Amino acid sequence: MEPDERSFRIALTADRYVNPPSGGLDGLAVLAQAGWGVMHLPAEDYPAETVERVLAEIAEQVREFSNHGYEIVVVGESGKLADALADVGLPEPDHVMPASPAELREFLDSRPVPRALG
Amino acid sequence: MGVAFVAHCLLNQNSKTAGGAYCAGVDSAMIDVLRAKGWRIEQMPCPELVFTGLNRFWAVREQYDTAAYRRHCRRLAANVAEMISVRVDQGEDVVLVGIEGSPSMGVRITSSDPDRKGRPRWPDGTDEHSSGEGIFIEELRLELQRRGINYPRVAGGTHALADHDQAAQRAALEATLDS
Repeated sequence: MEPDERSFRIALTADRYVNPPSGGLDGLAVLAQAGWGVMHLPAEDYPAETVERVLAEIAEQVREFSNHGYEIVVVGESGKLADALADVGLPEPDHVMPASPAELREFLDSRPVPRALG
Repeated sequence: MGVAFVAHCLLNQNSKTAGGAYCAGVDSAMIDVLRAKGWRIEQMPCPELVFTGLNRFWAVREQYDTAAYRRHCRRLAANVAEMISVRVDQGEDVVLVGIEGSPSMGVRITSSDPDRKGRPRWPDGTDEHSSGEGIFIEELRLELQRRGINYPRVAGGTHALADHDQAAQRAALEATLDS
């Protein structure tokens, strides 16, 4: 593959870490700083059918990244993501529910080198 | 403020065609502007990623403009339109932030060259960028129209354009958000 700046690391990230409430943990800032790509899981205030369809789309994308050896994790609540991933033959990736930026950063830094880079 | 529906790759450069990622993950130059102004972020899907995969070639609009790809884009656009509809019903202001020069996600500039085909050996220095929307953005506009939802204001990342200028990109995004 032609080299570029990508990290081969992707965090499936719950809405409250992408759009944190006042005083909430800004997970997006930590992920950006750490060089991880973000796939935003749908907010819980969307209709259940919409969320289900969007999760199915996300699972299809995750399958493509997984097939190519990208490192994938879940940050925060994932709702029915596990079901959507199972539908495309994938287990749910490792998961973190960070309470602080340091905890999230520590988790990210502890991840193995992506298979794509191995 | 409102809700910005952004192109997938602005949060995840890993989705780019090989050779196209210009940063590790999040395009902070665009995302930080939105967040600093208080805009909520929503991520649109990358229509090319699951259609032609991570190993896809760079392509122009004509190569994607097939019935199957448009059907795929319409399916994705219906979900995005549904999400926009929810936010509009909540009284939120909505903007779309696409990718200028993209055959799928361009909002004002796409890429077009009816002669590109076969073995991908494109001469350096050719300029396929032309006025117009990418196919996904076009299908999203049509879906919003079908639902009676006003087409939002749009902005686009310009990193792929030959005359890309970070300050000009930021100023154009801020002007869109503030207008």
